[in-house]
Amino acid sequence: MPSLAVSRSAEEPLTPQKRRLRSNSTAAPETPFSSPTKRKSPRRCLDSTPSSHSTRNDSIEPISNSSKSPAEELSEDFSEILNWNPRDASQVSAVKEALHVSTAPPTIVCREEEQRRVFDFCRACVEKEQSGSLYVCGCPGTGKSLSMEKVSNKLIEWARDGGFDPPEVLSINCTALTSSSQIFGKIVENGYVKVKGTAAPLQHLQNLYSQKQQSSSSLIIADELDYLITKDRAVLHDLFMLTTLPFSRCILIGIANAIDLADRFLPKLQSLNCKPLVVTYRAYSKDQIIRILQERLMVLPHVVFHPQALELCARKVAAASGDMRKALSVCRSAVEVLEAEVRESTIRLRSNSSLNDLLNPLQVKIDHMAAALSKAFRTPVIDTIQSLPQHQQIILCSAVKFFRGGKKDTIVGELNKSYVETCKSRMIPPVGISEFLSMCRVLNDQGLVKLGQSRGDDKLKRVTLTVDEADINFALQGVRFFRTCLQ
Amino acid sequence: MAETRTPNKRSAKTFKSPRQSSPLPPTPSFLTPQTPQTADPPRRSSRRLSLKFDFTPEKPVPQSARKERSSRRKELIKPPKSSSKTVDAAELAFSPASPDQSEARKRKRADGKQQRTAAKRVYYRKVVYDEGEFGVGDDVYVKRREDASSDEEIPESEECRMCFKAGKAVMIECDDCLGGFHLKCLQPPLKDVPDGDWICGFCEGKRSGKVVERPRPPAGKRRVRTLREKLLSSDLWAARIESLWKEPDGSYWFKGRWYIIPEETATGRQAHNLKRELYRTNDFADIEMESVIRHCSVMTPKEYAKENEGDDVFMCEYEYDVRWNSFKRIAEIDNDEEVGEEAESDEDWKSSKDVVSDSEDDMEYEAEADKHLPNRTSSAHALAANSKKGHFYGLQKIGTKRIPEHVRCRKQTDLERAKATLLLATLPKSLPCRNKEMDEITTFIKGAICDDQCLGRCLYIHGVPGTGKTMSVLSIMRNLRSEVDAGTVKPYSFVEVNGLKLASPENIYRVIYEALSGHRVSWKKAFHLLNDRFSNGKSIGKGDDKPCILLIDELDLLVTRNQSVIYNILDWPNKPHSKLIVIGIANTMDLPEKLLPRISSRLGIQRLCFGPYNYQQLQEIISSRLKGIDVFDKQAVEFASRKVAAISGDARRALEICRRAAEIADYRIKMLRETPTGKAMVAMADVEAAIQEMFQAPHIQMMRSCSKLGKIFLTAMVYELYKTGMGETTFEQLATTVSCLCAGNREAFPGWDTLMRVGCMLGESRIIVCEPGARHRLQKLQLNFPSDDVTFALKDSKDLPWLAKFLCHG
Repeated sequence: MPSLAVSRSAEEPLTPQKRRLRSNSTAAPETPFSSPTKRKSPRRCLDSTPSSHSTRNDSIEPISNSSKSPAEELSEDFSEILNWNPRDASQVSAVKEALHVSTAPPTIVCREEEQRRVFDFCRACVEKEQSGSLYVCGCPGTGKSLSMEKVSNKLIEWARDGGFDPPEVLSINCTALTSSSQIFGKIVENGYVKVKGTAAPLQHLQNLYSQKQQSSSSLIIADELDYLITKDRAVLHDLFMLTTLPFSRCILIGIANAIDLADRFLPKLQSLNCKPLVVTYRAYSKDQIIRILQERLMVLPHVVFHPQALELCARKVAAASGDMRKALSVCRSAVEVLEAEVRESTIRLRSNSSLNDLLNPLQVKIDHMAAALSKAFRTPVIDTIQSLPQHQQIILCSAVKFFRGGKKDTIVGELNKSYVETCKSRMIPPVGISEFLSMCRVLNDQGLVKLGQSRGDDKLKRVTLTVDEADINFALQGVRFFRTCLQ
Repeated sequence: MAETRTPNKRSAKTFKSPRQSSPLPPTPSFLTPQTPQTADPPRRSSRRLSLKFDFTPEKPVPQSARKERSSRRKELIKPPKSSSKTVDAAELAFSPASPDQSEARKRKRADGKQQRTAAKRVYYRKVVYDEGEFGVGDDVYVKRREDASSDEEIPESEECRMCFKAGKAVMIECDDCLGGFHLKCLQPPLKDVPDGDWICGFCEGKRSGKVVERPRPPAGKRRVRTLREKLLSSDLWAARIESLWKEPDGSYWFKGRWYIIPEETATGRQAHNLKRELYRTNDFADIEMESVIRHCSVMTPKEYAKENEGDDVFMCEYEYDVRWNSFKRIAEIDNDEEVGEEAESDEDWKSSKDVVSDSEDDMEYEAEADKHLPNRTSSAHALAANSKKGHFYGLQKIGTKRIPEHVRCRKQTDLERAKATLLLATLPKSLPCRNKEMDEITTFIKGAICDDQCLGRCLYIHGVPGTGKTMSVLSIMRNLRSEVDAGTVKPYSFVEVNGLKLASPENIYRVIYEALSGHRVSWKKAFHLLNDRFSNGKSIGKGDDKPCILLIDELDLLVTRNQSVIYNILDWPNKPHSKLIVIGIANTMDLPEKLLPRISSRLGIQRLCFGPYNYQQLQEIISSRLKGIDVFDKQAVEFASRKVAAISGDARRALEICRRAAEIADYRIKMLRETPTGKAMVAMADVEAAIQEMFQAPHIQMMRSCSKLGKIFLTAMVYELYKTGMGETTFEQLATTVSCLCAGNREAFPGWDTLMRVGCMLGESRIIVCEPGARHRLQKLQLNFPSDDVTFALKDSKDLPWLAKFLCHG
């Protein structure tokens, strides 16, 4: 119950902007998700989902058949809300599906402002029959690509409604190009323009945009734009220069993580005064993550997460990275934690379980979420050190001793000497240098030590300790041998 | 015709007499129809000598001889009736037509001038011997030892394992132990023979781990083993008759091609071997008909599947090459042969070739070999195996004749079995100590593919080498496959890629696409198609709506400079209809953090760590592999596992140490074979030796095996180091020290040139670091290893005991 209330209230402060957007999108018949009724009754939405979700429909159908009127439906919603049953495999899989990264949410909340800016930019370009370039940047998992998709759909609808020529949309993921200059070939291919003669795609495009003969504009969305950066930056430069040609009507939207990519790599554009407009996607804040999660969970007829659990997840993720993908996978693994717990408890007390169910409805509680979070965010340095083989622990120990004098790094040969000394002082036969090197490599793999590069001799490789001395001290203090060693 | 088939003993005798009476031909020694009885000792020895020459691999003499022969043969055969006598001989030998006639002719010939042909062997297609009819291509049981008394009693039918009577009642055979049971004797009795596999109660009990007591035969009655049982316990042999002939002395022989049981192959019995499986070998032997017991039938798998009665039925699918220990499916070989035969249609020509060759140079060898009739291996044949022209059977090609006895009689000792099971390549039956991780992987995979709509996911598995990462995943996949077969899990496709095996990271697309669709395209094309499949949901090939599990071993090798390959692969599971599950395995713990943030964001948070094994786990792993083979000292195993756990926790290394220890023990036991010890055990000392071998740095061994002067040189370097406290020294200084040392200990100082050479050699093996020799006495030298290592290596050298006092400075 409480979570539903929260989601309702979250819906209230919607900006008029948002409403306008939605009314815009309702005009399109092929977008089934944003019908206004959907918000009120998630079940209806379920029924209207494409047939690919047929199994989930099946599991819920018997209930939805019984009720017809919206009021009834709503009331039944409430009774149903309490009965999310993690033992029901189909219900669990429905939750997991709703939380999966690949499931595109029906509306993108918390990105209205950014979407509006991008949309306005595109609309202006189409209206004025101009070209233009836009650069979208932001951390991974902040919904850049997703909202670009929505914007392009919306733009087409708007253009159709407004009597403009809808632009040709081409979205490319630049990682999917085998060579970076291939992007021009793709643009030509997409742009219904027949390549005449043997001119290279780039030249062809340049010719095309220099002559006045065009009919409709094209919208190019280039994802992971930084993969186009070559040594001489020619491809990236040429791409943006296409928008500056006199009769060009292409709208270019580049997406990447770096904030200053445009400034760093396109200095010439600045001098031509056609620097791309920059839209920044900030990392999600705690409240935004909660809203997005609730939005996604709206499609489910049950309350799966305890609000506090959601809040914990959101706070933790927002503090760490603000990466929505991470938040979703944490939620998913929290569901799995609950699932495992339920499975165990059913095995243990099969007879009492039904009684327990009635008393406290099963939800993903704060402790499940905490377990999932610790799985995702813990740094298992201490555990790793404690489970290391003895000789590797001795190496760490001698490295700590070695670096006590304020030194930052050393070479493998020196570290070996220190290790042999430590071993000898404890009457342990040391291993040979080759074995020592392979142990150093293992420690490097585990991220406890960093080995530098060296050309010829392995013994001349630089070694630095990447974990804190205090961590090693703490991890090894249980063993008397190391305690005396480290003192 | 009928008479051809029955050249029984009597007719042989009648035939024998004229030949024996025939006098020795005066001149052609290589054509003599000599019987062993008539051969005189000096001649025999000389013949033996020639024999030896004949069978050297190069075969210089027979080569030319054969050429001669073949040319002669042609002229003999091609004009059919030109020289009637020889053609007759050929006809006689191989046409199954009229033996009487031929015999008559032969006799005539013997009476006449032709002494030569009389001495020939007579070849037959079919022979009735000892009331059994044997033909070329039949399979027979062959006695293993001449003196084996138990071979005399040949039970016709098997006894029931319950009531120990043979009887006429219908018996059913257990598919596991091959024991026969009367239907009525079973508990509960069966009415009919059930369809499909049937396993007796004893075996079933045994499989579920119970101790079962089989019924004992009643007192006084010895259970008679059937021939089949004897064969499968290698007390008997089976062979296929390749050709049959009658020796000049009247005894009947055949060329047999051995069958062997799986235990006798180099690999031993494998899990997939059927109980009644035999391998055909390329090992031939001439066997006297006397040692044949009776028919058995060895069938192809197809025939075998249809056949469900009879005890002497065996299945043979592969040919086993005794020299190279390799297997080949028989169907392929036979197909080859058929092609060869079609090309070579001149059947007569081929057969006559055999006759001639036999009669000419092999005959005398045969006569010689008759002396050692009991040992069957003594009579290997030069060319008879080559009955099909142009088809060589392994050994003939290289000229080796003799198959050593141990190839056939291989019976693995416990130590050998232990060595085999400890091999890294051997797939263990169970994977102990990784239950938690395996459970986690199983739930991950099942959780992903059991949904009706498969949701793409990624899992990253990391851990130090030798902790069973790949093996766990593969065994889970194997279990899952069996579940798919059982119908509890939906079908999926599984693609396994090892990053190290890719020529370049981009080739992974090609490999994946080939695994999914079976087509081989360039990686660019493959990437394009895969992108269509996973991002846009277009289909490639048939049945690709199945979820796909992609296992990438050594994931870190896919990291290119701009990391696009790994980005693309990890991006696919995030697409709506990809149905792709990626499992990445690597050693590095912090690989996701080293990648670009956008990639680690796509990789998700599912991680699994395989920590290094501790010593109890290693011990458990080793002992689980050695289950049932009691050759290892318990303490020895513990010692090995403790040693490994202290350094790396690598299971591979622990297994290697144990295997090496078993080898050392095996060698040790073989060395003192004369004194029969109780049980061959791998002791602590063997493990110790193996560990020494594995962990001791090679440079110590190198120093130990240095020349005398080299050791003095090294000692002088250490001594110099102590004296001056400087790491570097010049050659001049060192030479002075060496001469001092030599003078003080009654060694001859070798002179500077020699010393210089020794120094350069040590420098080349990188024990010391030195400047190029051109600088002569000013050359700078430095030890490449700590001086303690030199001390350790040289302080107890036996030939120069005085080194110790210069090395150990307290």
